[in-house]
Amino acid sequence: MAALDTAWRGIGAPGVWLTGAQQVKIIEEARAARACGLCHARKDALSPTAIEGQHAAVTGLPLALVEAIHRIVTDPGRLSEAWYRRVIAMGISDEAYVELLSVVAMATAVDTFDRAIGGRQRAVPPAREGEPSRRRPRGARPGLGWMPMLAPEDVAPDDPPLYESGGRIGGNVHRALSLVPEAMMRFWDMFETMYLPQEAMRDFAHEYRAIDHAQIEMLAARVAVKNQCVY
Amino acid sequence: MLRGSGKHSGTDYSFEGIVDGDGGSGVAAEAELLAFADAAVVMDERLGEYRGHVVDRLGHEAMIDAAAVIAGFDAITRVADGSGIPLEAPKAEATAEWRNRLGIDAFWSMKS
Repeated sequence: MAALDTAWRGIGAPGVWLTGAQQVKIIEEARAARACGLCHARKDALSPTAIEGQHAAVTGLPLALVEAIHRIVTDPGRLSEAWYRRVIAMGISDEAYVELLSVVAMATAVDTFDRAIGGRQRAVPPAREGEPSRRRPRGARPGLGWMPMLAPEDVAPDDPPLYESGGRIGGNVHRALSLVPEAMMRFWDMFETMYLPQEAMRDFAHEYRAIDHAQIEMLAARVAVKNQCVY
Repeated sequence: MLRGSGKHSGTDYSFEGIVDGDGGSGVAAEAELLAFADAAVVMDERLGEYRGHVVDRLGHEAMIDAAAVIAGFDAITRVADGSGIPLEAPKAEATAEWRNRLGIDAFWSMKS
Protein backbone atom coordinates (compact mmCIF):
# COMPACT_ATOMS: atom_id res chain seq x y z
CA MET A 1 0.00 0.00 0.00
CA ALA A 2 1.79 3.07 -1.30
CA ALA A 3 0.16 5.52 1.13
CA LEU A 4 1.61 3.64 4.07
CA ASP A 5 5.08 3.65 2.53
CA THR A 6 4.82 7.39 1.94
CA ALA A 7 3.59 8.06 5.47
CA TRP A 8 6.32 5.89 6.93
CA ARG A 9 9.15 7.56 5.02
CA GLY A 10 7.75 10.99 5.90
CA ILE A 11 8.11 10.35 9.61
CA GLY A 12 11.88 10.54 9.24
CA ALA A 13 11.77 14.06 7.82
CA PRO A 14 12.00 17.15 10.04
CA GLY A 15 8.53 18.05 11.28
CA VAL A 16 6.99 21.31 12.37
CA TRP A 17 7.84 20.99 16.07
CA LEU A 18 9.90 17.78 16.21
CA THR A 19 13.09 16.78 14.43
CA GLY A 20 13.24 13.73 12.19
CA ALA A 21 15.35 11.97 14.81
CA GLN A 22 12.76 12.66 17.53
CA GLN A 23 9.96 11.33 15.34
CA VAL A 24 11.87 8.13 14.61
CA LYS A 25 12.46 7.71 18.35
CA ILE A 26 8.73 8.12 18.88
CA ILE A 27 8.15 5.08 16.65
CA GLU A 28 10.72 3.09 18.65
CA GLU A 29 9.16 4.17 21.94
CA ALA A 30 5.65 3.37 20.70
CA ARG A 31 6.77 -0.16 19.87
CA ALA A 32 8.52 -0.56 23.22
CA ALA A 33 5.41 0.58 25.09
CA ARG A 34 3.68 -2.71 24.26
CA ALA A 35 6.13 -4.51 26.55
CA CYS A 36 6.27 -1.87 29.31
CA GLY A 37 5.57 -3.34 32.74
CA LEU A 38 4.25 -0.06 34.13
CA CYS A 39 1.84 0.26 31.23
CA HIS A 40 0.61 -3.31 31.75
CA ALA A 41 0.05 -2.65 35.45
CA ARG A 42 -1.79 0.58 34.74
CA LYS A 43 -3.92 -1.03 32.06
CA ASP A 44 -5.00 -3.70 34.54
CA ALA A 45 -5.69 -1.20 37.34
CA LEU A 46 -9.09 0.28 38.04
CA SER A 47 -7.46 3.69 37.84
CA PRO A 48 -4.16 4.11 35.95
CA THR A 49 -3.17 7.01 38.19
CA ALA A 50 -3.09 4.68 41.20
CA ILE A 51 0.00 2.90 39.86
CA GLU A 52 3.37 4.61 40.10
CA GLY A 53 6.66 3.56 38.57
CA GLN A 54 8.92 4.06 35.62
CA HIS A 55 8.23 3.27 32.01
CA ALA A 56 10.49 0.76 30.28
CA ALA A 57 11.76 3.46 27.96
CA VAL A 58 14.25 2.67 25.20
CA THR A 59 15.03 5.96 23.51
CA GLY A 60 16.23 8.64 25.91
CA LEU A 61 13.31 10.89 24.97
CA PRO A 62 12.21 13.29 27.73
CA LEU A 63 9.87 11.83 30.34
CA ALA A 64 6.90 13.91 29.16
CA LEU A 65 7.16 12.42 25.67
CA VAL A 66 7.65 8.90 27.00
CA GLU A 67 4.57 9.17 29.24
CA ALA A 68 2.50 10.55 26.36
CA ILE A 69 3.63 7.87 23.89
CA HIS A 70 3.18 4.94 26.28
CA ARG A 71 -0.31 5.94 27.43
CA ILE A 72 -1.55 6.75 23.92
CA VAL A 73 -0.35 3.35 22.73
CA THR A 74 -1.43 1.17 25.64
CA ASP A 75 -4.51 2.78 27.20
CA PRO A 76 -5.97 5.38 24.83
CA GLY A 77 -9.57 4.93 25.93
CA ARG A 78 -8.85 6.21 29.45
CA LEU A 79 -6.91 9.34 28.55
CA SER A 80 -8.40 12.45 30.12
CA GLU A 81 -7.90 16.20 30.10
CA ALA A 82 -6.38 15.97 33.59
CA TRP A 83 -3.80 13.51 32.26
CA TYR A 84 -3.11 15.80 29.30
CA ARG A 85 -2.53 18.80 31.60
CA ARG A 86 -0.09 16.75 33.68
CA VAL A 87 1.87 15.75 30.58
CA ILE A 88 2.05 19.35 29.35
CA ALA A 89 3.22 20.46 32.81
CA MET A 90 6.03 17.89 32.56
CA GLY A 91 7.50 19.86 29.70
CA ILE A 92 6.02 19.44 26.23
CA SER A 93 4.18 22.11 24.24
CA ASP A 94 0.67 21.68 22.87
CA GLU A 95 2.11 21.79 19.37
CA ALA A 96 4.79 19.16 19.96
CA TYR A 97 2.21 16.92 21.67
CA VAL A 98 -0.07 17.12 18.62
CA GLU A 99 2.76 16.23 16.28
CA LEU A 100 3.73 13.35 18.61
CA LEU A 101 0.12 12.15 18.60
CA SER A 102 0.11 12.09 14.80
CA VAL A 103 3.35 10.09 14.70
CA VAL A 104 2.09 7.56 17.25
CA ALA A 105 -1.13 7.21 15.28
CA MET A 106 0.68 6.66 11.99
CA ALA A 107 3.08 4.17 13.57
CA THR A 108 0.09 2.33 15.04
CA ALA A 109 -1.62 2.21 11.65
CA VAL A 110 1.45 0.89 9.86
CA ASP A 111 2.37 -1.70 12.50
CA THR A 112 -1.22 -2.94 12.92
CA PHE A 113 -1.62 -3.26 9.14
CA ASP A 114 1.65 -5.13 8.68
CA ARG A 115 0.80 -7.45 11.57
CA ALA A 116 -2.75 -8.06 10.29
CA ILE A 117 -1.67 -9.09 6.79
CA GLY A 118 1.10 -11.30 8.15
CA GLY A 119 3.94 -9.00 7.13
CA ARG A 120 7.12 -8.31 9.06
CA GLN A 121 7.43 -5.23 11.22
CA ARG A 122 9.21 -2.73 9.00
CA ALA A 123 12.46 -1.04 9.95
CA VAL A 124 12.19 2.50 11.28
CA PRO A 125 12.66 5.11 8.56
CA PRO A 126 16.02 6.92 8.43
CA ALA A 127 16.01 10.23 10.25
CA ARG A 128 16.85 13.19 8.04
CA GLU A 129 18.76 16.25 9.15
CA GLY A 130 17.04 19.60 9.45
CA GLU A 131 15.30 21.89 11.87
CA PRO A 132 11.56 21.91 12.57
CA SER A 133 9.79 24.84 10.92
CA ARG A 134 7.91 25.79 14.13
CA ARG A 135 5.01 27.52 12.43
CA ARG A 136 1.77 27.74 14.42
CA PRO A 137 -1.47 28.69 12.64
CA ARG A 138 -2.53 32.10 13.94
CA GLY A 139 -6.23 31.25 13.85
CA ALA A 140 -5.99 28.24 16.20
CA ARG A 141 -8.30 28.71 19.17
CA PRO A 142 -8.94 26.79 22.39
CA GLY A 143 -12.33 25.39 23.28
CA LEU A 144 -13.07 22.23 21.33
CA GLY A 145 -10.56 19.71 22.63
CA TRP A 146 -7.69 19.78 25.09
CA MET A 147 -5.48 21.97 22.93
CA PRO A 148 -6.21 24.86 20.52
CA MET A 149 -7.54 23.76 17.14
CA LEU A 150 -7.92 25.42 13.75
CA ALA A 151 -11.48 25.59 12.44
CA PRO A 152 -12.06 25.72 8.67
CA GLU A 153 -13.33 29.30 8.93
CA ASP A 154 -10.12 30.37 10.70
CA VAL A 155 -7.68 29.03 8.11
CA ALA A 156 -5.55 31.89 6.78
CA PRO A 157 -4.31 32.14 3.18
CA ASP A 158 -0.78 31.28 4.28
CA ASP A 159 -1.87 28.19 6.27
CA PRO A 160 -1.51 24.76 4.64
CA PRO A 161 -4.79 23.75 2.88
CA LEU A 162 -5.72 21.22 5.51
CA TYR A 163 -9.44 21.00 4.70
CA GLU A 164 -9.24 21.21 0.92
CA SER A 165 -8.93 17.58 -0.11
CA GLY A 166 -10.79 14.34 0.49
CA GLY A 167 -14.01 16.20 1.28
CA ARG A 168 -12.69 17.05 4.74
CA ILE A 169 -15.63 18.92 6.14
CA GLY A 170 -14.05 20.06 9.38
CA GLY A 171 -15.74 17.58 11.69
CA ASN A 172 -14.25 17.37 15.14
CA VAL A 173 -12.10 14.39 14.23
CA HIS A 174 -10.66 16.38 11.31
CA ARG A 175 -9.84 19.23 13.69
CA ALA A 176 -8.14 17.02 16.28
CA LEU A 177 -4.64 17.45 14.80
CA SER A 178 -5.25 20.86 13.22
CA LEU A 179 -2.92 22.78 15.55
CA VAL A 180 -0.21 21.31 13.33
CA PRO A 181 -1.82 21.39 9.88
CA GLU A 182 1.00 19.50 8.21
CA ALA A 183 0.63 16.63 10.70
CA MET A 184 -3.13 16.63 10.21
CA MET A 185 -2.76 16.41 6.42
CA ARG A 186 -0.12 13.70 6.60
CA PHE A 187 -2.31 11.57 8.87
CA TRP A 188 -5.47 12.03 6.85
CA ASP A 189 -3.77 11.41 3.50
CA MET A 190 -2.83 8.01 4.91
CA PHE A 191 -6.08 7.32 6.77
CA GLU A 192 -8.38 8.04 3.83
CA THR A 193 -6.62 5.43 1.70
CA MET A 194 -7.06 2.87 4.49
CA TYR A 195 -10.73 3.66 5.14
CA LEU A 196 -12.65 5.80 2.66
CA PRO A 197 -12.56 9.44 1.56
CA GLN A 198 -15.43 11.54 2.94
CA GLU A 199 -17.51 11.42 -0.27
CA ALA A 200 -17.25 7.63 -0.50
CA MET A 201 -18.24 7.11 3.13
CA ARG A 202 -21.84 8.09 2.46
CA ASP A 203 -22.05 6.87 -1.11
CA PHE A 204 -23.87 3.67 -0.23
CA ALA A 205 -24.86 3.07 -3.86
CA HIS A 206 -21.26 2.22 -4.77
CA GLU A 207 -18.67 -0.05 -3.24
CA TYR A 208 -15.05 1.09 -3.32
CA ARG A 209 -13.33 -1.84 -1.65
CA ALA A 210 -13.39 -5.64 -1.74
CA ILE A 211 -15.47 -5.46 1.44
CA ASP A 212 -18.74 -3.54 1.43
CA HIS A 213 -19.82 -0.47 3.39
CA ALA A 214 -21.51 -2.52 6.10
CA GLN A 215 -18.43 -4.70 6.60
CA ILE A 216 -16.19 -1.63 6.71
CA GLU A 217 -18.37 0.10 9.30
CA MET A 218 -18.69 -3.06 11.39
CA LEU A 219 -14.88 -3.34 11.54
CA ALA A 220 -14.56 0.35 12.39
CA ALA A 221 -17.09 0.03 15.20
CA ARG A 222 -15.48 -3.09 16.58
CA VAL A 223 -12.00 -1.55 16.71
CA ALA A 224 -13.46 1.53 18.40
CA VAL A 225 -15.05 -0.71 21.03
CA LYS A 226 -11.82 -2.64 21.59
CA ASN A 227 -10.03 0.67 22.16
CA GLN A 228 -12.90 2.01 24.32
CA CYS A 229 -13.20 5.02 22.03
CA VAL A 230 -16.19 7.18 22.85
CA TYR A 231 -15.93 9.27 19.68
CA MET B 1 -22.50 4.96 9.10
CA LEU B 2 -23.59 1.35 9.59
CA ARG B 3 -27.14 2.58 10.07
CA GLY B 4 -26.85 4.58 6.86
CA SER B 5 -25.62 1.53 5.02
CA GLY B 6 -28.49 -0.52 6.44
CA LYS B 7 -31.01 2.11 5.46
CA HIS B 8 -29.76 2.03 1.88
CA SER B 9 -29.86 -1.76 1.62
CA GLY B 10 -33.03 -2.19 3.66
CA THR B 11 -31.18 -4.23 6.27
CA ASP B 12 -31.61 -3.67 9.99
CA TYR B 13 -28.11 -4.23 11.29
CA SER B 14 -27.73 -4.87 15.01
CA PHE B 15 -25.01 -3.13 17.00
CA GLU B 16 -25.26 -5.40 20.04
CA GLY B 17 -23.30 -8.22 18.45
CA ILE B 18 -20.59 -5.85 17.31
CA VAL B 19 -20.16 -4.28 20.72
CA ASP B 20 -20.11 -7.52 22.70
CA GLY B 21 -18.44 -9.49 19.91
CA ASP B 22 -21.02 -12.26 20.04
CA GLY B 23 -22.35 -11.74 16.54
CA GLY B 24 -25.85 -11.35 15.19
CA SER B 25 -25.27 -8.02 13.49
CA GLY B 26 -26.55 -9.22 10.13
CA VAL B 27 -23.36 -8.18 8.34
CA ALA B 28 -21.97 -10.73 5.87
CA ALA B 29 -18.93 -12.72 7.05
CA GLU B 30 -19.34 -11.13 10.47
CA ALA B 31 -17.73 -13.95 12.47
CA GLU B 32 -14.59 -14.08 10.33
CA LEU B 33 -14.15 -10.32 10.21
CA LEU B 34 -14.76 -9.68 13.93
CA ALA B 35 -12.33 -12.41 14.96
CA PHE B 36 -9.74 -10.98 12.55
CA ALA B 37 -10.21 -7.46 13.93
CA ASP B 38 -10.00 -8.52 17.56
CA ALA B 39 -6.88 -10.60 16.97
CA ALA B 40 -5.14 -7.84 15.03
CA VAL B 41 -5.79 -5.17 17.65
CA VAL B 42 -4.94 -7.21 20.76
CA MET B 43 -2.09 -9.15 19.11
CA ASP B 44 -3.76 -12.53 19.57
CA GLU B 45 -1.47 -15.41 18.62
CA ARG B 46 -4.31 -16.89 16.54
CA LEU B 47 -4.22 -13.91 14.16
CA GLY B 48 -2.80 -16.06 11.34
CA GLU B 49 -5.62 -18.56 11.71
CA TYR B 50 -8.29 -15.83 11.64
CA ARG B 51 -6.60 -14.14 8.68
CA GLY B 52 -6.88 -17.44 6.83
CA HIS B 53 -10.59 -17.67 7.61
CA VAL B 54 -11.15 -14.23 6.07
CA VAL B 55 -9.18 -15.20 2.96
CA ASP B 56 -11.12 -18.47 2.65
CA ARG B 57 -14.47 -16.72 2.98
CA LEU B 58 -13.92 -13.42 1.16
CA GLY B 59 -10.61 -13.63 -0.72
CA HIS B 60 -7.16 -12.15 -0.37
CA GLU B 61 -8.08 -8.65 -1.55
CA ALA B 62 -10.87 -8.43 1.01
CA MET B 63 -8.46 -9.49 3.75
CA ILE B 64 -6.09 -6.69 2.74
CA ASP B 65 -8.92 -4.14 2.70
CA ALA B 66 -10.18 -5.37 6.07
CA ALA B 67 -6.67 -5.08 7.51
CA ALA B 68 -6.44 -1.52 6.25
CA VAL B 69 -9.72 -0.54 7.91
CA ILE B 70 -8.75 -2.24 11.18
CA ALA B 71 -5.35 -0.55 11.21
CA GLY B 72 -6.76 2.83 10.24
CA PHE B 73 -9.24 2.74 13.09
CA ASP B 74 -6.63 1.46 15.53
CA ALA B 75 -4.90 4.75 14.71
CA ILE B 76 -7.77 7.22 14.49
CA THR B 77 -9.27 6.14 17.80
CA ARG B 78 -5.96 7.26 19.36
CA VAL B 79 -6.20 10.61 17.57
CA ALA B 80 -9.72 11.11 18.92
CA ASP B 81 -8.97 9.95 22.45
CA GLY B 82 -5.61 11.70 22.60
CA SER B 83 -6.99 15.10 21.64
CA GLY B 84 -10.12 15.32 23.78
CA ILE B 85 -12.50 16.10 20.93
CA PRO B 86 -16.16 15.74 21.86
CA LEU B 87 -18.76 13.98 19.77
CA GLU B 88 -20.64 16.55 17.66
CA ALA B 89 -23.94 17.52 19.29
CA PRO B 90 -26.21 16.24 16.48
CA LYS B 91 -24.39 12.90 16.45
CA ALA B 92 -24.54 12.65 20.23
CA GLU B 93 -28.26 13.36 20.18
CA ALA B 94 -28.97 10.93 17.34
CA THR B 95 -27.07 8.10 19.02
CA ALA B 96 -27.87 8.78 22.68
CA GLU B 97 -30.33 5.94 23.17
CA TRP B 98 -28.27 3.14 21.70
CA ARG B 99 -24.98 4.43 23.12
CA ASN B 100 -26.50 4.22 26.56
CA ARG B 101 -28.13 0.86 25.87
CA LEU B 102 -24.92 -0.67 24.56
CA GLY B 103 -22.81 0.64 27.41
CA ILE B 104 -20.63 2.87 25.22
CA ASP B 105 -21.26 5.89 27.44
CA ALA B 106 -19.72 3.97 30.31
CA PHE B 107 -16.33 4.49 28.63
CA TRP B 108 -16.48 8.14 29.79
CA SER B 109 -16.40 7.15 33.45
CA MET B 110 -13.22 5.11 32.97
CA LYS B 111 -11.11 8.12 32.01
CA SER B 112 -8.53 9.38 34.47
